Amino acid sequence: MINLFRLTSFRIIFIYIILLTLSIGLVAFYLYWSTSRDFQMRVDDEIIQESTRLSQVYKRYKEVGLIREIQYLSRTPNPNLYILRDSNNKFIAGNFSDTDSLWNLKRLDEGGVLFSFEKKNNNGEIIRKYYFRGKEFIVRNKYNLIVARDVSYENYLKERFFNTILSTSLLIIFLGLLGGYVLSRNFLNRISAINKTSLEIMDGDLSMRLPTSSNNDELNQLSLNLNNMLDRLNKLMIGMKDVSDNIAHDLRTPLNKIRTNLEVTLMSNPDLDSYQETLKEVIEDVDGVINTFNSLLAISRVDSGSVSLKKEKINIKSLIEDIIDLWEPLSEEKGVVLNNECKIDLYLAGNKNLISQAISNLIDNSIKYGSDKNIVNVGSKKNKDNIIIWVSDTGPGIQDEDKEKVLDRFVRLDTSRNTTGTGLGLSLVASMIKFHKGNIELLDAKPKGLIVKLQIPTQ
Amino acid sequence: MHILLIEDDINAAKYLIKGLKESGHVVDHASDGEEGEQLALTLNFDVIVVDRMLPKLDGLSLVGKIRNEDIDTPILILSALGEVDEKVLGLKAGADDYLAKPFSFSELLARIEVLHRRTNPEVKETSIKVGSLSMNLLTRQVYRQGVEIDLQPREFRLLEFLMKRSNQVVTRTMLLEGVWEYHFDPQTNVIDVHISRLRSKIDKPFGGKEMLFTERGAGYALRSDD
Repeated sequence: MINLFRLTSFRIIFIYIILLTLSIGLVAFYLYWSTSRDFQMRVDDEIIQESTRLSQVYKRYKEVGLIREIQYLSRTPNPNLYILRDSNNKFIAGNFSDTDSLWNLKRLDEGGVLFSFEKKNNNGEIIRKYYFRGKEFIVRNKYNLIVARDVSYENYLKERFFNTILSTSLLIIFLGLLGGYVLSRNFLNRISAINKTSLEIMDGDLSMRLPTSSNNDELNQLSLNLNNMLDRLNKLMIGMKDVSDNIAHDLRTPLNKIRTNLEVTLMSNPDLDSYQETLKEVIEDVDGVINTFNSLLAISRVDSGSVSLKKEKINIKSLIEDIIDLWEPLSEEKGVVLNNECKIDLYLAGNKNLISQAISNLIDNSIKYGSDKNIVNVGSKKNKDNIIIWVSDTGPGIQDEDKEKVLDRFVRLDTSRNTTGTGLGLSLVASMIKFHKGNIELLDAKPKGLIVKLQIPTQ
Repeated sequence: MHILLIEDDINAAKYLIKGLKESGHVVDHASDGEEGEQLALTLNFDVIVVDRMLPKLDGLSLVGKIRNEDIDTPILILSALGEVDEKVLGLKAGADDYLAKPFSFSELLARIEVLHRRTNPEVKETSIKVGSLSMNLLTRQVYRQGVEIDLQPREFRLLEFLMKRSNQVVTRTMLLEGVWEYHFDPQTNVIDVHISRLRSKIDKPFGGKEMLFTERGAGYALRSDD
């Protein structure tokens, strides 16, 4: 059995039922109270009028006149009940003679009376019960006169009214509780399904997803969001695994090289000079390994959006000019033509160091992987709210199927050529552009070559 | 020179002390911020090397305290936090240079030596002279053996940087930071080509003695030809 009161939904429904029932009861009670008071007052008024009239009759014609008047009233159709008795309770006149057996007299203030009468059939069974409301007058200490009105129907209505309110309230409570139970059980079932799946996921089955339904309520949205979160986590974890596999692989190669180098030097009975030569080579190799780590750290720092990466207003034109200035001697030495296609001042809010490094990495790639007589163009232009920066070359380009892959970490397409590099250059660029909420596109140049297009929002 | 090394990582400290001693320096070592503060305030050092993260008193606060005592010994901060803005924070706190881990020992040594030189009160020079090479900072002219050398603006800045640190090893990173103001290291050695271009202008035409040297695994040095 589920503990319904632990559920917020059920508790809320329960409280609402109580409040609803209380307010319905309050309104109904007021209606009941005011209508019955109105009715009683009307009856009382009419009876007082009638008795006033009878007292005038008595004043003028004395006892004989009163008796005669009552006898006359009793013979004619009349809504009122008259009973005139003497001081010994003996019936004298009126339209109701059977005074002893029927009376269930209750005296109220100011001579008011309530009494009832049970009509029986020949077998003595009660057929109907009549209720009367009226007033009792004592005439000269000799006579007792009761003038009353049949209020059975009104009493019946009052009773019905009361019963209806009672049963309606009970029905509301019952339906409310039932509804609350059904809704809460539905809710609880879904919650426990989510709980169950969460536990399974915690136990290690990361492929599990929380159950979702077609109705788009908050619970379903929660499930969907959690599922999206799990998808993202899973993706990150797979990425992480790939990266650590790649690190292991990429480190083994230079470490092997270092080891062999040291081993061979040790075996060949060397002099001081070749010791020093070997050590210098080893330092260079180790520097390569450190570079790989530095790049990885840089990527993860940028990816995690480190708080210390500040943005400032940058003039892209002068930024590109500075980078070209840095690379121009090297490109010239390699016979690469490095052109600056950036003609006008363009500004964007970004991290100068990151954007410089991104463009620098792209130029590095273009020079490194480009062919002879390579032409590298660097430029930028404004497109609505974005600054587009491109680096193009006339090298071999990248096949369509490799274009996405090449942004991943440790991917080096041209393994045949003995090019140096960590395989992290483009990943770093991608991360840096992502940090600026921009995007990177790899396009084919005509007739051949690669265009890397960076699109960065100006703000 | 007399160096104070404040570094809590014992292994790192050990090899730094060894390296500095081998290079002919005297090293005092403190393994936490408070001990470092005491030493820095009581003894005279030529250069103080401070780790950014230290127990008891962190590196930046330590630098602030030392500067508050009017001690202007050059300070170099070492840190695993290698971002530009971290560097700015370190320099703001009163440090003179900032080096991100992991660094090569030659980088550290080069920077310590350059820092030590810088303490010599830097008179506003209008010209620099190294051996037969002279540079006029006002007219932006360079002469060697009395012959004017035509330099591009960037080459001029590069030579100026080297001449101000003549007879000292200047690393690639120092050049990138000082001449190009870049705080990243392009994987390809672009600086080499800049240096060889400069060399072809200041050394080659003059035959005889070379002035601009490449220090393998460390960087470059402009040495007097006297």
